[in-house]
Amino acid sequence: MTARANALADNTTVLKYALVAPAVFVILLIGLYPFIKLALTSVQNVTMFGADTSFHGAVHYLRLFDDERLWSALWNTIWFTAIALPIELVLGYLLALLFLQPLPLRRTLIAIILLPTVISPIVAGATWRLMLDQRFGPVNQMIGWIAGRDVEILWTINPTLVWPAVLVAEVWQWTPFMFLILLAALSNVDREQLEAAEVDGAGALTVFRKIVLPAIMPVVFIAVLIRGLDLFRVFDVIWTMTQGGPGTRTETISIYAYQMAFREFEISYSAAIAFLVIILLTVVVVAALRRVEVAR
Amino acid sequence: MTDLRSVRRIFAAGALSVLALWPAAATAQSAADTAVEAAQQYSGITLNVLYEAGLQPLDPKNFTGPLWEELTGIKINVIESPVDQIFTKTMQAHLANSGAYDVLNVIPNQMPDLALAGALEPLDAFVEKHGYGPELDMIAPVYRDNQMKVESTIYGLPDDGDVLILYYRRDIFEDPDNKAEFMEAHGYELAPPTTWQQFSEIGQFITDKYAPDIYGAGMLRQPGNAQYLFQERFRVEGGKFFDEETMKATVNSDVGVAVFEALLAENDFMPPGVEQWGFIEAFNAFLAGDIAMTISWPPVGRWAAGYGKGTEALNWIPETTVADTIGYALPPGGRPELAVGFSLAVASGSRNKEAAYLFAQWMNSEEISLQRVQLPYALRDPFRTSHFASEEYRGRWPTAGDYLDTLKAGAETGLLDLSLIQTDRYEEGIRQAISRLWGGEDPQTILDDLAAQWDELTERIGVDKQRRAYLDWSGKPNAYPN
Repeated sequence: MTARANALADNTTVLKYALVAPAVFVILLIGLYPFIKLALTSVQNVTMFGADTSFHGAVHYLRLFDDERLWSALWNTIWFTAIALPIELVLGYLLALLFLQPLPLRRTLIAIILLPTVISPIVAGATWRLMLDQRFGPVNQMIGWIAGRDVEILWTINPTLVWPAVLVAEVWQWTPFMFLILLAALSNVDREQLEAAEVDGAGALTVFRKIVLPAIMPVVFIAVLIRGLDLFRVFDVIWTMTQGGPGTRTETISIYAYQMAFREFEISYSAAIAFLVIILLTVVVVAALRRVEVAR
Repeated sequence: MTDLRSVRRIFAAGALSVLALWPAAATAQSAADTAVEAAQQYSGITLNVLYEAGLQPLDPKNFTGPLWEELTGIKINVIESPVDQIFTKTMQAHLANSGAYDVLNVIPNQMPDLALAGALEPLDAFVEKHGYGPELDMIAPVYRDNQMKVESTIYGLPDDGDVLILYYRRDIFEDPDNKAEFMEAHGYELAPPTTWQQFSEIGQFITDKYAPDIYGAGMLRQPGNAQYLFQERFRVEGGKFFDEETMKATVNSDVGVAVFEALLAENDFMPPGVEQWGFIEAFNAFLAGDIAMTISWPPVGRWAAGYGKGTEALNWIPETTVADTIGYALPPGGRPELAVGFSLAVASGSRNKEAAYLFAQWMNSEEISLQRVQLPYALRDPFRTSHFASEEYRGRWPTAGDYLDTLKAGAETGLLDLSLIQTDRYEEGIRQAISRLWGGEDPQTILDDLAAQWDELTERIGVDKQRRAYLDWSGKPNAYPN
């Protein structure tokens, strides 16, 4: 290679870096800076009454271990995610299967099904709160019609009913998201393979296991990851419906962090909570991505 | 229909004529005039005013803001926030040193936290400089003495006479058949209850006779509202929040448990689902005639009487069916909760502190505040001695005099909201406890947990530090019934 060619190659490399540099800078600015700031704040002592920015060591992290309310909120979050995610996935899959068939008004029905996904979670929560209201809500009214008498069901107050109530709102809003993604994935499954399997006499379960599932798995994985992360950060719907109550029965990690940060102004402690959440999610996401890489 | 602009014009004309005549009539310049004169040097600036979202900001948007601009050349920009976010917004602006707000609406029991955090500007020098002391002294003592200072420094001008009083249907209470039946059943006159025992008996009597058309009572039960009823009743029944020596929480005493049990038992004679009721639900039910008694904030009393009917901003209010029959009384125990309230304050981060103070002084002054508390759409309630006595106000509707007399009585005997360092965390505990109570948990267990939660919080804040704050609060004349 001539000197001129080498120089040209060097210039091209410099140009490449120069072109991506602004994007990298912006990403670092909006991603890395808050992360570093968060980490720093978590080892300081910033409260509503003052910002002591001297190094306080792991004092806030040690406090995390003694904070029963935090662990309860974390457990609520994990439990809620573990229940809601499979329900959304299964319902979304069944709906997608249904809409793979040629149905009358298919496009219109799909648009209607997708409506909950496009509204704000705060609005969804408020809507469900009204739906479940004892005085004005249609849910109790309809149950009353079936029961043949007035019923008094306090969905957002009764400790045994409050989680199902929140779960219904969450599943109602986000199942369509799963449905849409899975419908797209199922539409792209190779028809020839399906027909060949049918000709070979493969059963429905075998076709699903051997052909459909491998074909849609990457998409399912991404959908589960996105929804899983969303569910782990769930705030709006629950806040609007119950504000974390009764007591702290429906308090999730995001609600607790919000309370600490923006109502009590325990800034450093809430930074430690946020850092804990970041670590937990990072471990889960990295492990999941690695698993997919291995599978590929 | 009366629209906002015409209401504004009427009140603006009234205020302007008062302002125009006042100097001639008075020997000394009024506080409103003083504020206007001093503020004219700031003509051209804009003041950002933080207000509770909803009806409250219609006052500065439609009445005081435009009038102030006309008088001084200072624009008023109203920034709204839900009431439970006001503290957060104030603190965020302070911590970020954003200077986002000039004039603040501060909930009095949050004033110590905001003052300690340095978010509020001390006002003593401004009060002195602009000669506001005499008019400040004319604010009803309960608000003036309790909702203005933190450790003898003025941080806010008490600006809202919030008090939870009893509203009842006179037609039911004065019905001869009801009176006779009740006398026979209970041996005393059917009248507004003066004890909680009477409240239960009367409520049950009315429910037994009229439900499901009319229930004996419907009360504030959403934890955010119900906590005030608990705070009031706990103290009326003799409870103390803390041991003054050790600062150990005593909210789980026998009194606390008895009050919790009584609150729960009363739900039985209230409409189904009352546990979900907040201000709007109780208000609507009372206006519709569905309940015979309720305890709530002062706007219920005037709107239920039909005051403001036809005002555009109030067209969401259902037609009142009790306008001619509403009665006013102090709640059982006679020591109503001075729940929430507002004081006008100046943000320490304001770039226009003196102008901000002058606007607050002007709004809070005798002349202007009298106009403001009569705005049909606004939520500011009478808080000055002159408001209660105002012939103009007393003539607003047939029973306005009774209404104002009851508010005045409440202002004399009312109990302050608990106020400590990090008050909201203690109140959050009460809110959670009440939501667990409605959820069916055991009162003693709930209150034991609450006490433990408070003790842990006190330990973290510092027992001595919190004890000083508590003694400062409990030493006020309206902290506990004597």
